[in-house]
Amino acid sequence: MRKEFGKTFIKRFLSSLLTLYLLVSFLFIIIRLSPGDPTNKYVSSQLSPDLAKKISASFKLNEPVSDQYVAFLVNVIQGDWGTSYNYHQPVLRVVWQYFSFTFVFALLSFIIQLIFSFYLTIFIVNKRNRLLDKIVSDMSLIVYSIPAFVLGVTLIYIFSVNIDLFPISGLRSLDFEGMSFTSKIFDQIHHIILPLITLSAAGIALFYRYLKDNIDVVLNQTYILHLKASGFRNKIIMTKHILPNAVRPLISVAGIELGILLGGALITEVIFGLPGMGRLTIDSILARDYPLVIGCVFTSGAVMIATNFIADLIKIKIDKRLTVELMN
Amino acid sequence: MRIKLIYWIGFLWIFLIIFRIEAIINYALLLPAFFGLMFNNINTAMSLVNFQFIDSIFSFIIIILIPFIIVISYKKKNFLNKQIRFSEAVIILLLFVFILTPLIAASNPGFSKDLSVTKLLSPFSKVKIIHLKSTEKYKDSDSKYFLNLRDKIIKPSFDESIIFADSINAGDKFFYYQKNVRKELPPNSIKTVDGREMITDKIFLLGTDEFGRDIFSRLIYGTRISLLVGLASVIVAFLIGVLLGFIAGYTGGIIDVILNRFTELFLSFPSIYLIILILALFGNSLFTVIFVLGISGWMSLFKIVKSEVVSLKHKDFIASAKLLGMKKRLLLFKEILPCIIVPVTVNLIFLFSAVVLAEAALSYLGLGTGTLYPSWGSMINSGQDYITKAWWMIVFPGISLIATLFAVNSYGRKLRFINSSDND
Amino acid sequence: MNLKTPFSFLIIIIFIFFSACDSQNHKTENRVVIGISADVQTFNPLFAFSVDEGVITELLYLSLFDFRWNNEKGELDSYPMLAERWEWAPDSSHLKIFLRKDAFWTDGEQITSADVVFSFDVFSDPVVQSRMYGNFRNLYFDNENHINIKKTFTIISPYELQVNFPPSSIPSLDDLSSPVLPQHYLEKINREELATSESNLNPVSNGAYKLTGWDKNQAITLSADTNSFLFKDGMIAQLVFKIIPDYTSRILQLKKGELDMLELVKVEDVDEIKQVEDLRVTALSGREYDYIGWNNIDPVAYGKGKIIPNELFGNSRIRKALTFAVNRKEILEEYLQNYGQLAVTSVSPIFKSAYNNDIKPYDFNVDKAKDILTSEGWKDNNHDGVLEKDGNDFRFTLYYPAGNPLRDFASTVIRNNLKAVGIEMDVQTMELNTFIDNLVDKKMDAWMAAWYIPIPVDLKNYWYSDLEATPRNFVSYQNKEVDKIIERLETKISGEKRNELIKKFQAIIHEDEPVTFLYWTPDICAYNKKIKNINITPLGAIMHCWEWTFNQ
Repeated sequence: MRKEFGKTFIKRFLSSLLTLYLLVSFLFIIIRLSPGDPTNKYVSSQLSPDLAKKISASFKLNEPVSDQYVAFLVNVIQGDWGTSYNYHQPVLRVVWQYFSFTFVFALLSFIIQLIFSFYLTIFIVNKRNRLLDKIVSDMSLIVYSIPAFVLGVTLIYIFSVNIDLFPISGLRSLDFEGMSFTSKIFDQIHHIILPLITLSAAGIALFYRYLKDNIDVVLNQTYILHLKASGFRNKIIMTKHILPNAVRPLISVAGIELGILLGGALITEVIFGLPGMGRLTIDSILARDYPLVIGCVFTSGAVMIATNFIADLIKIKIDKRLTVELMN
Repeated sequence: MRIKLIYWIGFLWIFLIIFRIEAIINYALLLPAFFGLMFNNINTAMSLVNFQFIDSIFSFIIIILIPFIIVISYKKKNFLNKQIRFSEAVIILLLFVFILTPLIAASNPGFSKDLSVTKLLSPFSKVKIIHLKSTEKYKDSDSKYFLNLRDKIIKPSFDESIIFADSINAGDKFFYYQKNVRKELPPNSIKTVDGREMITDKIFLLGTDEFGRDIFSRLIYGTRISLLVGLASVIVAFLIGVLLGFIAGYTGGIIDVILNRFTELFLSFPSIYLIILILALFGNSLFTVIFVLGISGWMSLFKIVKSEVVSLKHKDFIASAKLLGMKKRLLLFKEILPCIIVPVTVNLIFLFSAVVLAEAALSYLGLGTGTLYPSWGSMINSGQDYITKAWWMIVFPGISLIATLFAVNSYGRKLRFINSSDND
Repeated sequence: MNLKTPFSFLIIIIFIFFSACDSQNHKTENRVVIGISADVQTFNPLFAFSVDEGVITELLYLSLFDFRWNNEKGELDSYPMLAERWEWAPDSSHLKIFLRKDAFWTDGEQITSADVVFSFDVFSDPVVQSRMYGNFRNLYFDNENHINIKKTFTIISPYELQVNFPPSSIPSLDDLSSPVLPQHYLEKINREELATSESNLNPVSNGAYKLTGWDKNQAITLSADTNSFLFKDGMIAQLVFKIIPDYTSRILQLKKGELDMLELVKVEDVDEIKQVEDLRVTALSGREYDYIGWNNIDPVAYGKGKIIPNELFGNSRIRKALTFAVNRKEILEEYLQNYGQLAVTSVSPIFKSAYNNDIKPYDFNVDKAKDILTSEGWKDNNHDGVLEKDGNDFRFTLYYPAGNPLRDFASTVIRNNLKAVGIEMDVQTMELNTFIDNLVDKKMDAWMAAWYIPIPVDLKNYWYSDLEATPRNFVSYQNKEVDKIIERLETKISGEKRNELIKKFQAIIHEDEPVTFLYWTPDICAYNKKIKNINITPLGAIMHCWEWTFNQ
């Protein structure tokens, strides 16, 4: 058993690495393909043509592509992701600053999504009320259909503009430094609530749907009836048999969702002015800050691949456990 | 809450006829005028044919044909008797709007005049229109009659012969007010009908935006863009996915492995960034947007088609078909397509909703298809700056977007359940 | 599970609302909060490329002289700053500068002549690629536009230095206007790595305000430096630049009182802001003008290295007709609500002594436009509504960078105006960087863009015939008379003669109409009336902040 798991692990791991490699190469190709000379902005027009050429050359964009490619790969592996044209700082440092925020924000949202959808599902399943079921089902579909920018803008309008309950944008108040510790915590929460709601709403609806549908499917299967007939209590049936089966397909979806979240919740960040990976990526793309673009997209991609990989592993583990359980 | 399909279509049709009877009559007159022109001078006639003209004529034809189509299909199949739900009704409404756009929209989506009066008006606002005696625009032209008629139908994006005003004061002198500024017009410049000045009312159903443009018309034209981009991207994704899936499943071996890796690669991309990257690098025209959105969605189709092809490959009837020398392409069409059509359709529907959402998001970020045609996303984007002054700029495109996505998602879910229950 | 769930929900809800109530307004006195749209990347004036960076670094770093705007004359007046006084040689061959002895860096070191010389050295060093590289005039240079330090500067004592000017130059204090940098802090850094150095984020400065806080992407705090010679009682203790990327948020926070000052307010918000009791609004125009660029030469031929006049726009009469056809007043009235003014030439009306008031603008006149077009051979023979000549339609595409609603509106009006005279214009927006690339490569026939004009008047960089040397002459306008004026302006002439020449320049430009000048766009600034002594000039609103005080 262990050996099999190990083999699968290595296989998946290598395949993830390969995808990562292809991702990086693809980025390289597509940026080289794009029209326009990126160094234009960073080489002053006042320079004499010779000096301009020299500085352009320092960006190493004139060497043969294969050389550039190799140099590029070597740098990426070594951790030297170059210097951002715009920020004048090492790309790694800039990405790290923004990524730390996105990491916390995404994780928070992810946990909230899981908790809320989970409790909601349990609640609805226990109630067994067809009308309630239908209402919640339709509501969740509507919530899922609301684009993030519509939701975010509406929330701002209602809660920040009309009822002055939450701040409009930003992470903290101006007087943050001077606040007491508890005030600081409250301030952060205060600022992050609307963005969290905006970001999590669709996810909660999605998870709820998945969980509910899967539970419904499992509920109707014959072996559950068997268990019920054998006299097991509802609660035990639920926790030991239904839930694990229902949760399994959810794992891949959750993995993808987490990957996307960690890549940066682009629209939410733009609306609420949060310093996250989403905004950084967009701004760097629009500014043609190629080193930073590569750093950002690579980070998001790598994170996505990583979460998928972990989700796959979890799935395999649970599969094995289930087969063992069923056999008992 | 259900309604028979035929009643719904009938209701929409009657509704439209009642509200646009004038336009429909004008359309009816336009066709013979055009033919008359063709008779006289075929060159001029041909040069006057443009997209808007064809569009309008097409809408006219459709709306006339609808009752005939209904009657004929009713007799042949019972399909129109089907009961449809809310989501399907919305989809039918969207198709209706998509095809009959020129007829439904009240004015040109880009029409903007006299901003001080018309800008940021709330829904159901009314303004007065003063009609001026304009010089005959087409005096020298032989197609005068046709051209004048055409202008009544195909609304131009500007009109020098009308002035919008808040209120009028007509006495010895003719005054009109534009946002508390009083202006005067020489008495003979106003068009008269039966001796009185021609002053009509205009109601902006859903209000106006910051440029005084009618939100209702923009919403209608925006439907076209959203649906068009959705449909086109889905077709692109379909073609790529099915083709690659077939190749991978059928040929197998190395190509299969490569294509698999390729697919995984695409799946693990943070697609929204890739889309934005490509749009930023290569420009954002309608074509690029469709292409890029199509490319981001073919992966799941690939998987479906491939697994079906692989499972079918080993079945007997394929082997026998091959023995008979059937070409690969025929194989694809005749044998495989019917099997995959249902799961693919479900997938396409979800892809469609994802693309519509993505297009709106891109327009919201300013990377949409351009300013020429309004898109719901770009309307929401412009509306953001006016959220405190003109909530209608966001609410109506927002509702349209939500309703569309909801209807499509809902329909897709239903289809999926039917499909999966069939399989059981 | 059934008991715990609602309970835990309850706790969370209470938590949320408690947090909402707890954050009261910690209103600190003696502080001005200014809203800006993006964070800065550097505090070093060498690399302050964005407008906000410029504003902040100007507050942090002083220059030798202080330039103030003289509204009557429409020019800059110079006052002492780090230089206490100065003496010009009678033939302007050199300038003796005497520095203040009570000016210090934030780390306690004194400001000396060595700092001044070092600053000019670094600002003009090609390896550093500073913001001002290549913009220095009237000094001794080596062949890479680097100031020749040995020839130019003579250090007489730590507080006295002499600047030598080449014999053929006409120097002014304006040539020495760059900020003074701390030599002792920056000289240790390798010049090539200066742009990415950490020192840019931890500045050692000499201004009335110093950097005391930088909450990344949230706020930048500058506090009054009590050791500065500019310090006086009643000065505003803290200037906080709050970073709010979203425009609507900025306006909302301004109205709520969370911001004390905001620039770049949109025209449509002015009325609402005026209704707020505590806010004042000023609208200055004359620093930036929008224009329609008509490519005077053929772009395809230019790509191949040849210069031939543009088919459509090479003719100045056609360009004048186009200006007649465009209803600029309508845009000004309808969209800008008459904030701003009509632009006649590239010389701004703020330069009162040099502005040519005798020029009559080309008012909107459809008939005149039509007449000119007809007389140039453009007729609509096939009655399709579009003019033709020699078998070609008068049809072209207007490009402009996306994201500017004024231009969206203007392009619609212009398209309609031109349609009325028989010209078919397509409109295409582009992403800013692509647009700039196309502009520099002169690939477009027509475009709409804006120029932010320098103070004092600069004609050479925009209108000189030598296209290689004048990259900003995007329309490739070439006129020998204008060249002569430009060359004359570079010689020693009196101020009156200068103004005369500039007026003549305007007359010629008006006659040739190389572009269609649209309007000077307004820069609307709103601020809390509690701020006293604030002087908003064409130089900017956030200047000389050490003179601001609070109303009692």
